[in-house]
Amino acid sequence: MATKSQPHQRPWRKGTSQPERDEALECVGRQLAEPGKFAYAALCAISLASLFPEPEDSSYRTEVIESLVKWLDLSEGVLPAMLAFAGGLGGEGTDTFAQILLKEPLLEENPKIITQDLMSFSLKDGRYDARARVLLAHITWLLRIPLVELEALEEHLLECLNEEEEEESETAEASRKKKERRKRLKRYLLIGLATVGGGTVIGLTGGLAAPLVAAGAATIIGSAGAAALGSVAGIAVMASLFGAAGAGLTGYKMKKRVGAIEEFEFLPLTEGKQLHITIAITGWLSTGKFGSFTAPWSSLLQSKEQYCLAWESKYLMDLGNALDSLWNGLVNMMAQEALKYTVLAGIVTALTWPASLLTVASVIDNPWGVCLHRSAEVGKHLAQILLSRQQGRRPVTLIGFSLGARVIYFCLQEMAKEKDCQGIIEDVVLLGAPVEGEAKSWKPFTKVVAGKIINGYCRGDWLLGFVYRTSSVQLNVAGLQPVALDDRRMVNMDLSSVVSGHLDYMKQMDTILKAVGIKTKQCRLEEGGTLAVLSPKVTESQDQALQNDAPAEPSSLGQEENADVVHDAPWSWEPVSSHELCLRDSAQARVSDPRESLEAREQQKLPSREEPFSTNSSHPSDYSQTTDRGTSNPLSPTSR
Amino acid sequence: MDEDILTTLKILIIGESGVGKSSLLLRFTDDTFDPELAATIGVDFKVKTISVDGNKAKLAIWDTAGQERFRTLTPSYYRGAQGVILVYDVTRRDTFAKLDNWLTELETYCTRNDIVKMLVGNKIDKENREVDRNEGLKFARKHSMLFIEASAKTCDGVQCAFEELVEKIIQTPGLWESESQNRGVKLSNHEEGYRGGACGGYCSML
Repeated sequence: MATKSQPHQRPWRKGTSQPERDEALECVGRQLAEPGKFAYAALCAISLASLFPEPEDSSYRTEVIESLVKWLDLSEGVLPAMLAFAGGLGGEGTDTFAQILLKEPLLEENPKIITQDLMSFSLKDGRYDARARVLLAHITWLLRIPLVELEALEEHLLECLNEEEEEESETAEASRKKKERRKRLKRYLLIGLATVGGGTVIGLTGGLAAPLVAAGAATIIGSAGAAALGSVAGIAVMASLFGAAGAGLTGYKMKKRVGAIEEFEFLPLTEGKQLHITIAITGWLSTGKFGSFTAPWSSLLQSKEQYCLAWESKYLMDLGNALDSLWNGLVNMMAQEALKYTVLAGIVTALTWPASLLTVASVIDNPWGVCLHRSAEVGKHLAQILLSRQQGRRPVTLIGFSLGARVIYFCLQEMAKEKDCQGIIEDVVLLGAPVEGEAKSWKPFTKVVAGKIINGYCRGDWLLGFVYRTSSVQLNVAGLQPVALDDRRMVNMDLSSVVSGHLDYMKQMDTILKAVGIKTKQCRLEEGGTLAVLSPKVTESQDQALQNDAPAEPSSLGQEENADVVHDAPWSWEPVSSHELCLRDSAQARVSDPRESLEAREQQKLPSREEPFSTNSSHPSDYSQTTDRGTSNPLSPTSR
Repeated sequence: MDEDILTTLKILIIGESGVGKSSLLLRFTDDTFDPELAATIGVDFKVKTISVDGNKAKLAIWDTAGQERFRTLTPSYYRGAQGVILVYDVTRRDTFAKLDNWLTELETYCTRNDIVKMLVGNKIDKENREVDRNEGLKFARKHSMLFIEASAKTCDGVQCAFEELVEKIIQTPGLWESESQNRGVKLSNHEEGYRGGACGGYCSML
């Protein structure tokens, strides 16, 4: 059947030109036998109940289940049972339902069509809710499908919207239709490209692309047409909403000490497009290698579409220099201090700081104090931007270290106050965050974040403990200890073995990202499998990095880990299933263009930084599989 | 209003296709009867609060599909059920003969052994009875089940069937007490704990 030979080919796109053939291909869900459909819907309902049990999400659960029942063409009679499942009853049946679903003849050879179907379903209204993506990942995991498939599917979806060159086979009429569609796309772009407050608008693909998908699918599904139209209007509403929200930045004006935010801008980290985006937030700037906001994130590749928030560079630079001088001047004494703090952990924080340190405290306290306040304001501003959906209606992952993590903290805090805060943020990663570490202050975040809340901390981070001492009386600092929040989302990660001091958050970002489970260029590469050829080169350049870092970097622990990662290739231990093989084959054929652009981008954008992979044009196939094998990382759904 | 509810009970209705499981439930919850009721898909779910001996109990009733094609789904519902209603059609001997299979399945998938079972012979309003009342009674005794004959159409015995079942469950303290204390906790992880507790309570009674 066509489904098997071309599992990822854009059914919605082809559907417009040959509807009669593709009707079967599109609605996989409807082709299932009734018990299969029932198990499918029940599995989603139970998963929703376990992933989003909060009362705030109950309307979302109901909405999803009701429209899924319609989507699957199931009898209305199953709704009471489905809603009971979604309400948290009958959660014991998960395994049974998963097994039944997998035994469906349609799925036996190719279980990932369920993921595909669920994704088409999730996108049919022209928005990609962060919760829908978490649900998708969860179902994918329940059906024992590698998470790579999910990202691969997302990319195919996008591809169908971006590439226009595979038109040659289409008839004149079809190309006319295409032109119309392109015109429509342009209109969305025009709406979307309005800018606010000097900040570049984050790309709008997700929000724009989705209605097009829906429009394509609607011709097949028919009934969904109305929904698709609704979302077209929704985009316009969003754009206008955004204009209003952008003007009303009220919060920060009240604090006269800091005044307005002076700089707030999104810098692209990668040029690609994806249905989910990542925003990285830098904690401080320092002279030299890490003089730019993007520098620490050079290896980040969680999504193909990534941005870096540039904020208050003047103050962050002051702070960075102060941190550096503090570190360099007191490094010997501090080695002992750090040791003490490692052993005695939090208790010592309550004791007095050494007098020698306090004498130099003035160097740091002022810039730190300013940046603390600024980061809170920037966080609130970011919240407004995300709430106004400038990024499009698609999931956002936020990653930040030090004050960048503080920006995220306040962003989440601000978002939690709003009504429509759900379904925007997928995951957040806070590394060495100088924020309150009490569980109760983190509790509201569970409402905002659909996926994981990762707190990366280091018990021996004396610098953080020191600079934070005057700013607040709190002894609980999230960057120094786990946050005791009892929720499936909360993931505490002790980075003490990777981070030996606060400054490492910037220098060791690559290693930290891997430890935390965020995808980096390297791990995407390793997924390609042909690492052996690359390894010597990688270690060599890492040795260089080591030398560069040496004066300021007393510990080489991070580098060692780094090298291990390279040799052991922990991201590729899984046996390659037949699905992946066929995926890779098709991926090689397709992704040739993105690969080239990726290389070119890396070369032109980051000339100053050692970039082990950018020059490897002799191994083009390494880029062919840019999707991740996410089952090993903490972002994969492990909670039930 | 929710405060005075003593406990929430999970009740399961099983039996062959077409014996009138959904009709019994519909009669019980909505007091209506539909001769053309469509076959259940997967499972149906209804909630009803009833009062037995002054105790209010909220019943979460799972009405399973009898059709063979949905049979694979049923194992998932047995878990954690405190009461089960086993239905047969008095005008179809084959549905009575299949009861043994249902009991086996119940034993296989049910997570507790003190579950209260009620045997219901449905459709006694019909003329062409094939299974005698005494046969049903004998079968119920043999398997230590409660027994009643009912008709969803005429409303005969329906209310009684549910009431008696609930009464019996409430009289078996270990069956529901631990459950009500732990309401809101996910069953999946604590299942073992419950069973231990329930069992202990039961033994001390003896």
